[in-house]
Amino acid sequence: MARLNDDAQWIILMGFLISFSFFFLALIINQSTVVGQTTAESIIEFPKNDIRDFRGIFIDVIAKNTTLANSPTIQNDLKSISLNRKNAVVNFSVWYKPNDAHTYVDLYYNNGVTLYNETWASL
Amino acid sequence: MVNREGGQLFTIEGIAAGLLMILTAYLVVSATSVYTAGDTHISDMQLEQIGSDTLKIMDTPENRTTQSDLQMIFSKPIIDEEKFKTNFLALTNNTTSKANDHINFTANYTCRIYPGNDIASSQFSHSRNLTSGEHAVRVTKWVIVNRSFCGTTGEDRAVLVEVLMWRD
Repeated sequence: MARLNDDAQWIILMGFLISFSFFFLALIINQSTVVGQTTAESIIEFPKNDIRDFRGIFIDVIAKNTTLANSPTIQNDLKSISLNRKNAVVNFSVWYKPNDAHTYVDLYYNNGVTLYNETWASL
Repeated sequence: MVNREGGQLFTIEGIAAGLLMILTAYLVVSATSVYTAGDTHISDMQLEQIGSDTLKIMDTPENRTTQSDLQMIFSKPIIDEEKFKTNFLALTNNTTSKANDHINFTANYTCRIYPGNDIASSQFSHSRNLTSGEHAVRVTKWVIVNRSFCGTTGEDRAVLVEVLMWRD
């Protein structure tokens, strides 16, 4: 059959190329929605707000108030509620250096997936 | 000899057609899961951010010596459910157009029962009851509260405010 008339081989080749390129384009469109989903899911899964909230309450409120910073009640509140409601182990301590006016704060947050450590120093 | 090469074009054609069919079948099978905008969680992500920002605003005092709105709500003898509801709905549902958004919420707080490590949660405010149909996201905020509850009297306590919010 092919021997009888070879003239249309160019047309057939172009036809193949175009159809393959359409399939690859369709594949890309097919995957595009899934990309949006996985991005949004990983953003939701990352505990950005939890860490910022914990950091905020500790650095902005507790570390600036010696009564709060030395209160075991507040510390146990934060640890117990974090573990129970956020599945996160948190720890923190306020410390000072001799002959240094700065306040230092160690923060630790771990929810099994995300681990966050910080040593913060006051200005 | 020349005549025996006549099958090459047919072979290539066969392979190409086979590849096309396999690719088509793959695309058809993988295209059966149709994603809608809600499935992609992009709106959830945005809703969660609105909620976190709102609680952050409500827990920001006007200056260093006053209490924040959230602290004032909790320092009332009976937790000021109405004030929380009004402020939260006003902050979340405001839009730049005239029409308001339709965000609803239920809020509860969690404290630790002193002494020990048990916790207690109770609802203190809601705009509508949560039935089973809503697709809610959770936002949380730590608040330092001074009131007589959860086993202590007149001592500062850390309380976790949790809000479930959804769009109707």
